[in-house]
Amino acid sequence: MLMCRDLAEIASDYIDGELNGRQNLSVKMHLMMCKDCRTFIGNLRASSNLLSAHSSGKADEEFLRRIDERVAEALSVRKNKGSDSE
Amino acid sequence: METEVQSESEASLIEDLKRRDSTAYQKAVREYSPGMLAVARFYLDHSSAEEIVQDCWVTVIDAVQKFEGRSGLKTWLHRIVANRCKNRLRTANREVATDFSETLEPELANRFNSTGRWDLPPKLQFHESADTLMENGALSDCLDKHLSALPETQRSALMLYEAHQHKSDDVCNILDVSASNLRVLLHRARQKIFLMVETFQETGEC
Repeated sequence: MLMCRDLAEIASDYIDGELNGRQNLSVKMHLMMCKDCRTFIGNLRASSNLLSAHSSGKADEEFLRRIDERVAEALSVRKNKGSDSE
Repeated sequence: METEVQSESEASLIEDLKRRDSTAYQKAVREYSPGMLAVARFYLDHSSAEEIVQDCWVTVIDAVQKFEGRSGLKTWLHRIVANRCKNRLRTANREVATDFSETLEPELANRFNSTGRWDLPPKLQFHESADTLMENGALSDCLDKHLSALPETQRSALMLYEAHQHKSDDVCNILDVSASNLRVLLHRARQKIFLMVETFQETGEC
């Protein structure tokens, strides 16, 4: 029988639909009987949603400017090469 | 098999990159660099990772001419970064060490008794809606703090999977980890975030 700790170990696999049919069924049966694990799964899912919603695009503006400079320099070298060969 | 469908805006961005349009590069740098940095940080320290990402953008100027769109632009860029990092590690003869043996965070594992039942079950129910949770600026700052404290391997896997919405296969390919190890990385990272949100909701402290 699946215990709470066992369920906690495979909770992310359950959330992501990565369990096989038998494992999935035993998690569902456990969740029907165990309020604490229902709360745990709900909270872990909320944590996962939180990460998806959390902006991952916060790169350091200074770092992005350094890339812009490198790219601009490389683009200009290529343009000059192109115009030299014309 | 790569079956990512390019959106119209992505296809048009790729065309602009091929034309070497500097505005297109600025746009792409802002859109894709955070994910590229997440990939690089899986392998390298912060300053080396930034260096690799910069170098990759210069490489992209020529490489994009041959980009045929068999994968999405994001996946293609992430693979370029991963390959560069792997080469760098090979040169330096360094390996990325990760412990995949434990699936539970010690702080969570200690909350079960010897029979495997909860000793200290989760008390509060989080709001399901991420938008509701994110409305709390202090929580958002706390999340930033905890994300930056995660081991690089966990953070990169989490970022690529959750924030950059890569499929598992892609993350495994980019980070060169097995599917089962990716599951461990994701689960460990999510547990840490779960514990963080729990503490925050209970005490208001980060």
